[in-house]
Amino acid sequence: MTMEQPNLLKILSETRFADGLPNKHLQSICRAARLLRVPAGQRLFQEGSAEDEIFVISSGHVRLTMNVPGRGEVPFLTAGPGDLIGWSSVIGEGRMTATAVSTEDSTLIALSGSRLRELCHGDADLGFELMKRIAQVLSQRLLSTRLQLLDLFGDAGAKS
Amino acid sequence: MNLAAASATANPHNPWLAHTVRIDRIVKETPGVATYDLVFEDAAVRKKFTFRPGQFNMLYLPGLGEIAISISGDPNQTGRVPHTIREAGNVTRTLAELSVGSTIGLRGPFGAWWPVDECVGRDVVLVAGGIGLAPLRPVIYDLLSDRERYGRVTLVIGAREPAALLYPSEYDDWIRAGLDVQVTVDRSVGTWHGNIGMVTALLHRLPLPDPGNTLLLTCGPEVMMWYTVQGAMERGLKAESLYVSLERNMNCAIGLCGHCQFGPQFLCKDGPVFRYDKVASIFKVDDL
Amino acid sequence: MTRSDANDVDHPKSGGTRQLTRFLDRQDLEVLIQRLTDDGYQVVGPTVDQGAIVYGDITTSADLPIGWTDLQEAGRYRLQRRDDDAYFGYVVGPHSWKKYLFPPVTVVASADRTEVGWQMSTPDETPPRYAFLGVRACELAAMKIQDKVFTGGPFVDPIYQARRNAAFVIAVNCTQAAPTCFCTSMNTGPRCSSGFDLALTEVVDGFLVEVGSDAGNELIQRLPVTEATSKQLARGETSRQQAVDQITKRMDTGGIQSLLMDNLRHPQWQDLATRCLSCTNCTMVCPTCFCSSVSEVSDLTGDHIDRERSWDSCFNIDFSYMNGGPTRNSIASRYRQWLTHKLATWHDQFGTSGCVGCGRCITWCPVGIDLTQEVAAIRSSPGLKADDIERDASSNGEAAS
Repeated sequence: MTMEQPNLLKILSETRFADGLPNKHLQSICRAARLLRVPAGQRLFQEGSAEDEIFVISSGHVRLTMNVPGRGEVPFLTAGPGDLIGWSSVIGEGRMTATAVSTEDSTLIALSGSRLRELCHGDADLGFELMKRIAQVLSQRLLSTRLQLLDLFGDAGAKS
Repeated sequence: MNLAAASATANPHNPWLAHTVRIDRIVKETPGVATYDLVFEDAAVRKKFTFRPGQFNMLYLPGLGEIAISISGDPNQTGRVPHTIREAGNVTRTLAELSVGSTIGLRGPFGAWWPVDECVGRDVVLVAGGIGLAPLRPVIYDLLSDRERYGRVTLVIGAREPAALLYPSEYDDWIRAGLDVQVTVDRSVGTWHGNIGMVTALLHRLPLPDPGNTLLLTCGPEVMMWYTVQGAMERGLKAESLYVSLERNMNCAIGLCGHCQFGPQFLCKDGPVFRYDKVASIFKVDDL
Repeated sequence: MTRSDANDVDHPKSGGTRQLTRFLDRQDLEVLIQRLTDDGYQVVGPTVDQGAIVYGDITTSADLPIGWTDLQEAGRYRLQRRDDDAYFGYVVGPHSWKKYLFPPVTVVASADRTEVGWQMSTPDETPPRYAFLGVRACELAAMKIQDKVFTGGPFVDPIYQARRNAAFVIAVNCTQAAPTCFCTSMNTGPRCSSGFDLALTEVVDGFLVEVGSDAGNELIQRLPVTEATSKQLARGETSRQQAVDQITKRMDTGGIQSLLMDNLRHPQWQDLATRCLSCTNCTMVCPTCFCSSVSEVSDLTGDHIDRERSWDSCFNIDFSYMNGGPTRNSIASRYRQWLTHKLATWHDQFGTSGCVGCGRCITWCPVGIDLTQEVAAIRSSPGLKADDIERDASSNGEAAS
């Protein structure tokens, strides 16, 4: 346990992602975690690349983009404190479905996807709690994406 | 013998009678959206006119018809009455061609208003989507005119894209006056460095130290309001502390023509502002 | 003129003191009409026109449908000759008194272009003074209901109020009922108990006359009436009882508000959509329907605009138009709006049912939809949801279909 660890535990426990997680699970997760402080403009991962880390944002904001030939990097979502990004390293093939770049100085908790998977296999209860939280993040993300797709503020949607 | 026959104009409160107002100022806000400051020609009417935040007027273009427009100005200021209007049909498009000095008709104010009194001593979250910020701006002015009476006040604004954000020049004033202003857009364009995503995502992340004692007022597309309200309740706000502003076809605005009904509610007199629990059971019934 | 009974504040014609029942000879109905005309009233009442009994001007008693009756059933209306000369031997036709109090087309305001801009005004005409001759109990109830709509809310319609205040009401107790009548289920008749100036019950040689207000009392002093004998009173009672006995249609209104509002997704609405034409007949003949729209009518110069209010209907597809489309875009949703408003949400809005059981909507529906049967259909299978998969009854407590 490094000097960072007690700090890491505290920071992780204060995120909404970790809300309700029993301390023993928090400690297990921290063994797979490191604290990351990044300046504005730092790329955390690249769309299409295979990455191992999943990130919980403690403070600051991260912009997610996808690359469309002819349109360049198209931003579609901003993630903020309590949000989870890079979930593809835990679920799916591990190839990132977006590029993530911080928009301001941010503090993140980076978790190793492979080590988390090992922990989950070994502890079904921890596995359930982790997956439940990831599912909640994704469901929230999906709703937001659908609402963006509906283009509610377009001509037919806005109040007259 | 039954002879009581009150002639219509002898009744000073004939609800069909529109007052003459003059367009005093036009501010182009965003593409297709402008704010019209209206002034009553009759000085006595001008002095007497007051409104509560969330109320609307029927603006009348003779020969074309009336439209229901929320008042978007400061309820503590008399004289000019601002209305932010989006071009959507015949009446609004013709209005957009009028110039300062033109006269139109006005009936109002009508409708149930936002519960500013209930906000005293409590935290308040305002969630505005698109032009839904216009009917909420009077609340902002009201709260900021006496800031210490209220707890944390947060304004979450959503728009289609950065150019569609309403009243951006006022955000810094509001922040300085004690409002936490958070802005998000559905899609980013060029140099936008702010949030991208729906207001629900921002609401999800909002620090709410005392959700059981927090009010939320929201105005925008119905789908947005629905998910805002659901998200608020997931964060621990009570259904009786949530307020929405609904919209339906408005014709007479005085509860006599039947057009604006939504279940048992007449939007012109029971609404357009509703406490959420009063409309919860019918909110999601298709085609009601 | 004095208003009687301050307790009945929402209605201009309250019961007043119940006085002796009088008797008016058959031929003296003419005197009643004449007195009203001399008093400056425009007497209106039932007449035969276009194959129906409709409300029109009455200049003499011969204008009334003497010796006529009506045969009504769902989707059908015919006139037929009686074998007597009864003045009021029928029930109700496609018109109701709302055509006078809430005119089908009327100017509510005007706008004039002047050098100082648009100036708006409201009509300054003296309202017509109608004497309604032949108002049935269901229609008295309907007028009370529309009184609440037009004068009982935060905004009063001055047009309705002026005409209503000026109107003289002569009610007629029904002596028969049609198969479409169900006023007893709605507690609105067939007996006229209040809301009239005078009430007539037709018997073989004349009319029993009851007084219902000070104005009625004033008029009866000037009519050649006698005190009704006990024989005449008994005949009147028999006649009125016949109406009660002939009512066969019933609507169970128990818990109807929650029955309808808890079944907004019931498959019956879809079933109705396969039959209902959304033709608006029911709303036009209904004596309580009040939906309207205001449109702009300009003169040739464009400098004078009238704001014209016309009857409208929630069945019209544009009625709910907003921001690119109607919110009630299906016949099922529009029929649901009409029925739930009439029988359920009217209670929330005005404290009573919107239906008086007159049966007009049943008669005049071209496909014969009977709202009492539609309610019964929902009542017999509550909780169903259209298009839903069959759900396990044990998991959510609903009855399996």
